[in-house]
Amino acid sequence: MPPKINAPFVERVLVTFIRDELGRCGCRKALLGLSGGLDSAVCATLAARALGPRNVFGLIMPYGAAFPRDVLDAKALAKRLGIRHETVDIAPQIDLYFAAHPTSNRLQRGNKMARERMSILYDYSVREGGFVLGTSNKTELLVGYGTVYGDLACAINPMGDLYKTQVRQLAVHLGVPVAIRRKAPTAGLWPGQTDEGELGLTYEELDRILESLVEGRKTRRQAIAAGHDAAAVGRVLRMIKASDFKRTLPPIAKLTTRTVGHDFLYPRDREA
Amino acid sequence: MKTVLAQIVPKLGDVEANVDAHLDILGKARRQKAGLVVFPELGLTGYTLKDLAEEVALNPASDPLFRRLVAGTKGLAAVVGFVEESPADRGLFYNAAAFIADGRLVHVHRKVFLPTGGLFEEAKFFAQGRDFRTFQAPFGRAGLLICRDFLQFGSSYVHYAAGADLIICISAAPGRGVGGGDAFETSRMWELMGEAVSYFSTAFVLYANRVGSEDGVTFAGGSFVFAPGGRLLARASPVDPELLICSIDLAAVREARRRWLFKRDEKPEAIWRSLERIVRAPED
Repeated sequence: MPPKINAPFVERVLVTFIRDELGRCGCRKALLGLSGGLDSAVCATLAARALGPRNVFGLIMPYGAAFPRDVLDAKALAKRLGIRHETVDIAPQIDLYFAAHPTSNRLQRGNKMARERMSILYDYSVREGGFVLGTSNKTELLVGYGTVYGDLACAINPMGDLYKTQVRQLAVHLGVPVAIRRKAPTAGLWPGQTDEGELGLTYEELDRILESLVEGRKTRRQAIAAGHDAAAVGRVLRMIKASDFKRTLPPIAKLTTRTVGHDFLYPRDREA
Repeated sequence: MKTVLAQIVPKLGDVEANVDAHLDILGKARRQKAGLVVFPELGLTGYTLKDLAEEVALNPASDPLFRRLVAGTKGLAAVVGFVEESPADRGLFYNAAAFIADGRLVHVHRKVFLPTGGLFEEAKFFAQGRDFRTFQAPFGRAGLLICRDFLQFGSSYVHYAAGADLIICISAAPGRGVGGGDAFETSRMWELMGEAVSYFSTAFVLYANRVGSEDGVTFAGGSFVFAPGGRLLARASPVDPELLICSIDLAAVREARRRWLFKRDEKPEAIWRSLERIVRAPED
């Protein structure tokens, strides 16, 4: 297992982080997509504690009547936290687009839906005058399990340094409802999809391997010698490498003596 | 003497706002009859400066904002962190700490050890200091260190050998590791050094760290005061801003040195000869 976290301390750090990052821009409001899953539930709870529930806005964005259970869980969570929320059905615009540009590729459809949700969130961020919170965890970021310019898009990400199994520990501490904590994690790109089915590993196995490669800085050989399954280690390393582009900004072709991203380097959080 | 460790959240890049915040705290400290206020590393500028470093640099001898700050130390002393560009070294920018007392600039230390690697990139943006010197403060002999300087344990030894009663470290140390107690795991590293240095140098160790976050990195607070002999006198929150007030009695240095004979039996010349040999003949 990745190291156990001291959940109350992590809560304290992340609540301060959310408050400081937004406050620095004179903003007190945050928005996020509520999927009915664990990560967005944890993030919504942290945001509600950081900013007060009335300053958090949850958008529930189902595709038609798909995943009705998740929609109910998301609504129940919003009520329980006392945060504002709204439901926007993305089916009309998705169906209109794919009627004109048909595809049988379900991943392509899923990515389009993730980007549609991003587009709606960013539009609402203007309507509400708030920042979009990212809910990708460290496991997803490392193996690239997210849609670039889709669910990976955000203003700040409070949870990106917590493995999925650590998000679960934090969820218990934060009192996230059992109905949400017990369900199988899914990206919700198509019915029946589960993260673990698609990744071919349980989150426990995946996080153990990632921890030994990332924090433990082990080589493939050392990780296998330490008892991890050789095929699984190879698979994880391939996923990490194949998704490098999702964790960095696009490279800018350098031509001059001072170039954005290369040697024009300013902190994002400057205040003057 | 009453000391105040100002565990604050500086505004990144806004020197004027930070000078005002420093002056405000100095005013509060004066009303509480404090003798010394210690502010964190780069407290006048914020830490994650990158290319901003040269834009916020100032000459402590002539800059109007810095002179306002110096004037604000009437009746007490302060340690202040800033980016220094001096007329003698134009175009070079130092991560610096100034000791100011009673309206006068007494001493400037330039950070010698600039962490560069992992999440740190100080040597990319700052010039390196080259010296550790103690100086006479109104209340005793003192030496300044900045953050990583303190973790390279030779630095404290130099201040000790030069007779420091107080070793004052200002810091902007980020927190890492959340699997331990109610603080970042890396806080242990700082306290361990504070305890050891105060124990074996029989001097006071004051460590002022900052809090808040910049570009996703959270600073780990936990400012502390150790008395000679490794006695923890006070420790601040690992997350929240705080003015940590702690009374110290400098007579404790004499008491500790009577009782533990480390200082009496110290042989800097033996250390120096050995170091000289090592530096001159690195291949030996």
